[in-house]
Amino acid sequence: MSPDILDEAMEIWFGPQHVSAHGWATKLTLVGDYVVECDPNAGYFHRSAEKVLEFKNFRQGALVLERMCMLEAFLAEYPYVAAVEKIAEIEVPERAKIMRTIMMEMSRLHSIQFWWGQFNAELGFFTMALWPWVDREYSLDAFEELTGSRHTVSYSTPGGVKYDFTEKFMKQLHRAIDRFEDRLPKFRDMQMGSPTFRARTKDIGLYHYKQGLKWGLSGPPIKACGVPMDLRKDDPDPNLAYDMVDFEIPITENPEYPGSSDALDRMEQRFKEAEVAVDIIKQLLPQLPESGPIIDPKARAKANRLPEGEAYARVEGTRGVTSLWLKTLDKAQTAYRAKIRGPCIASYYALKDLVPGSKFADFIVIFGSLDPYPGWWDR
Amino acid sequence: MSVLLQFDFWQWIQGIPQWIEGILYWIWGIVKWIIYAIWDFILWLWATIFNADNFFFLFRAVLFPGLIWVVLALIWAVWGTRKLWGRIQDRRGPFHQGKYGGLQLFADAIKLIAKETIIPDKAKRWMFRFLPGLLLVVVLLPFAFIPWDTVSAVNGGWAIADLSVSLVLVFAFLTAVPVVALLAGWVSGSKYTLIGGFRAANNQFAAEIPMIISTIGCAFLASSLSVFDISMAQTNVWFAVLLPINLATFLIAAIASVGIFPFDAPVADSEIIFGWRTEYTGIYFTLTYFAEFAEQMLYSALIVALFLGGPNGLPFLPGPVNFTIKFIVVFFFFVLVSSSFQRLRQDQIVKYCWKYLLPLSILNVIIIMLAIVYMPGLMLPLLGVG
Amino acid sequence: MSTIGRAVINKIPEITSNALGDNKIELIVPAEKIREVITIIEEELEDAMPESVFGIDLENDQYQLIYIFWSWSTKTLVQLRVSLEGEKPEIESSCDIFPGLEWHEREVREMFGIDFKNHPDPRLLLLPDELDGAYPMRKRFTTDQSRLEESGIAPPRPRPKPEGGDSK
Repeated sequence: MSPDILDEAMEIWFGPQHVSAHGWATKLTLVGDYVVECDPNAGYFHRSAEKVLEFKNFRQGALVLERMCMLEAFLAEYPYVAAVEKIAEIEVPERAKIMRTIMMEMSRLHSIQFWWGQFNAELGFFTMALWPWVDREYSLDAFEELTGSRHTVSYSTPGGVKYDFTEKFMKQLHRAIDRFEDRLPKFRDMQMGSPTFRARTKDIGLYHYKQGLKWGLSGPPIKACGVPMDLRKDDPDPNLAYDMVDFEIPITENPEYPGSSDALDRMEQRFKEAEVAVDIIKQLLPQLPESGPIIDPKARAKANRLPEGEAYARVEGTRGVTSLWLKTLDKAQTAYRAKIRGPCIASYYALKDLVPGSKFADFIVIFGSLDPYPGWWDR
Repeated sequence: MSVLLQFDFWQWIQGIPQWIEGILYWIWGIVKWIIYAIWDFILWLWATIFNADNFFFLFRAVLFPGLIWVVLALIWAVWGTRKLWGRIQDRRGPFHQGKYGGLQLFADAIKLIAKETIIPDKAKRWMFRFLPGLLLVVVLLPFAFIPWDTVSAVNGGWAIADLSVSLVLVFAFLTAVPVVALLAGWVSGSKYTLIGGFRAANNQFAAEIPMIISTIGCAFLASSLSVFDISMAQTNVWFAVLLPINLATFLIAAIASVGIFPFDAPVADSEIIFGWRTEYTGIYFTLTYFAEFAEQMLYSALIVALFLGGPNGLPFLPGPVNFTIKFIVVFFFFVLVSSSFQRLRQDQIVKYCWKYLLPLSILNVIIIMLAIVYMPGLMLPLLGVG
Repeated sequence: MSTIGRAVINKIPEITSNALGDNKIELIVPAEKIREVITIIEEELEDAMPESVFGIDLENDQYQLIYIFWSWSTKTLVQLRVSLEGEKPEIESSCDIFPGLEWHEREVREMFGIDFKNHPDPRLLLLPDELDGAYPMRKRFTTDQSRLEESGIAPPRPRPKPEGGDSK
C-alpha cells in the first residue's frame, strides 16, 4: 500500500448487497474517513407500478399502491381510493371515515415503530432495536384480526372500507395502544438519555428547512426543523375524519440551529408523531357510531366505470406527502395515467448534498434518520 | 567340438535362488529394524506420557484448565451470551436444541463447518486460510497462564504455568490480536474489509495503553509481573478494593480491545458489513466468531485473576470453583454492558479512550503509589507484607 | 383566483388558468415559458415544495407535462400543464431552480422520451440499461411477452382500450 493511501480517493459501493442498504446502491467516494462525493442510484426495486395501474380496475388499483410501502399500508393505499372517489363523486359514510382515519393513524404508529427499530439496528443498538419491534407485533396482530393480513391489508376501497371493527379487534387495538403508551417513557429515556446515542446523532445531517423544501422533503424531516407543515391540517381531506379531532401538529425545535434539524431532532420528532397518532385514535374511538354502513352501496357500480376526469389526492404519510394523480377517460375501467409520488424520493435525492463532508460512519445515520423506504422512489 | 567356458551356466543358475534368498534376508533385516524402531518409539512415548508427573501435566493441559475446558467453556459462554441478550431484548434466545437451547452451539458449529467456504478472487489464499486459525490459537494460548488454582501445577495443583513475567507475555499475545485482524482485513481483498481492518488497528491504538496501565497498579501491589503471583498476593484483600478505578478502566478498555459494543466499529455490521470478518465463511467464520468470545472470556479471566483475587475467595470451596464463580459474574457483566450501548464512531472511540480512560487509569496508579509510600502502616498489612 | 395565479398571469399574459378547487390552481403554460413561470413561483411563494413532474402520453405523439408545487404558507397547490408534441419533444430543465425536480425529470426522460435540455445528470434513473430508448410509459410500448408460456402464468386479459371496452 502506498503511503499516501489516506489521500487517495476510494470509491466504494454502499451497494445493493449490504446489510443496511435495503434496496438502494450509493456510490461513495471516500478520502480517508470522509465522504467526498455521494451518488445515489435508484432502480433496484422498480416494479413499474404506474404502468401496472393502467391495467388494473379501480378496485384493484389500491392493492398495487399498498405494496409500494407495506409498512404504512393503510396510508399508502389511500391516495388512490381518494382519487377514484373524487372523479366518480362517491360519498363515504361517516362510520367509514372514522374507521379509515383510525387505521391510518395505527399504520403511522406501526411504521414509526418499525423505523425506530431499524434505525437502532443500524446504529448497533440491538436492545433498543428489538423493544419497539415487540410492540409492533401487537399492532400487527390488530391488523391481522381486522383484515386477515399483517402487511398487505387492502382495507380502503372506493366508497368506504371493507371490514368492520369486531369486538376482538377492538381488544387488540386497545392492547396495542396501551402497551405502546406504557412503554414509551421507558424507551424514550433509554434512547434519548443514552450518551452514545447523542454522540452519534447530534449535529449529524443538518439542513435548513428551506433547503429541505427545495429538495422536496416534507413530513417529519421538515417538522423536525420547527415548521408545522402537515397535510392533515393544511389540506384536510373531506373523506377522512381529521376535522373531528383536535390535535397540535408536532414539531421539534433545535435550540442551536433554529430552522434546521439534525438526526437527534428527527428522532425526537417521530416520538412526538407517534404520540399524536395515539392521541388522535383515542379521540376518535368514542366518536365512532355504534353501527352504520361502512361502504356506500352505490360505490361498486360507480367505481366500475369512471367518467372522464383528473384528480390529485394526497395524504400525510409517515415520511411526507404521499400522493396520486389520476386521469381517466370516459367510461374507463382502468386508469389512463396514474402518477405515484412517494416522499422518499426526495430523501434519497437529498443525500447527494447532505452527505459529502461527513464521515463514513455518519452516512447511515443521516440516511436512516430521513426514514428511507425504497418502495417509494422506485415504485 | 564346443569350447569349454570358464563360466558354468548351470552352476550359475543353481546359485540364483541363493542370491534371491540373500536379498530377501536383507530386506527382512531392514523391515525388522523399522518395526523395532517404531516399537521402541511407542514404548518411549508410553513411558513418557504415563510417567506420573508427565501424565498429570498433560491431563491438565488438555482437560482442565486446558484446551477442552476452555473450548467447552467457550461454547457455553456463547450460549449464555445469546440467552442473556435475548432476555434483555425481550425475547427468548435459542431454545430448540437441548434443554434451554444448551446444545445450540454444537448445532451451529456442525452447520458452519459443513458449509461451503467461499474465498474471494482477490484474496491472498494462503494467508486468508491461515489467519483465522492463528487468531484462535493466539487468543487461546494465554489461558495457560491464568491461575485457576492456588497451588501451581508443579506442586500438584491445577494452575498450569508460572512464568515470572507471565503478565507481559499475556499482553504480548493480546496485542497480536488486532494485528491479525488488520492482516485478515487486508488479505480478504475487499474495500470493506480493509476499512474494518484499519478500524481494528485503530481500536488497539486507542485502548491497549489504558488497559496495560490499569494492570501496572496490580503489578506494583504484588511486586511481581507474574499473573500467578498477583493472584496469590490477594489473600488479604482484593485489588479491586484498592484499585476500583483501574478495574473500571480495564473493563472498558477490554471491551474496546475485543471489539464488542459499544466499541464495535471494526465489526460494524451496518456500516462495513462485517468489517474484517466479512469474507470469512464456513469454518473460518466459526474460528473468528469463537475467537471473539474467547477473547472476552480471556479478559474476564484476567480481571478475576488480577483484580478479584483469582482463586482466593471462600475458604471452603476449592480454588477452581471460586475462580469459576467469579469468572461467570464478570462475564455476565461483560454481556450486560455490551448490550446496553450502541456503537460509537471510530474517532469518538479514540477520543474517549485517550481523553478519559488514560488519565483515569494513570490517576489510580499514582494514588496507589503515593499510598504505599506515605501510608505504609495501612497498606502493607493489607498486602500481607511486613 | 389566488395571488400566485394573478402574479403569473400579470407577468406573462399568454398563460391561461383553471381553478381546480378551493386552494388549487392550474396554469396552462406554453413550453418555452416554463422556466419563467417556475422562477416566478420560486420568487412569490417562498416555501414552494416541488412535488413532482410527470408526463402523460396522449396518443399520436402528443404529450403533456404536469408540474406540481405545494406551498405550505399560503396553502396553495399550483399545477402547471405543458403541452408538447413530436417524436422526441424537448423542453428546458428547471432543476437549478428547484433541485427536487432533478430526479423527476430524469424519470420523465427515460419513461417518455421527453428531453430536458441542460439537465445536469441525464442518466437512467429506474430502468435497466436494456430499456434505454424504449420509453416504457408511452402507450405504444408493449411488454415483452415472448416467454409467457414458459412461465406458466395464465395469459393476460386483452388490453383494455383507453375509452373503456370490455376487460374481463
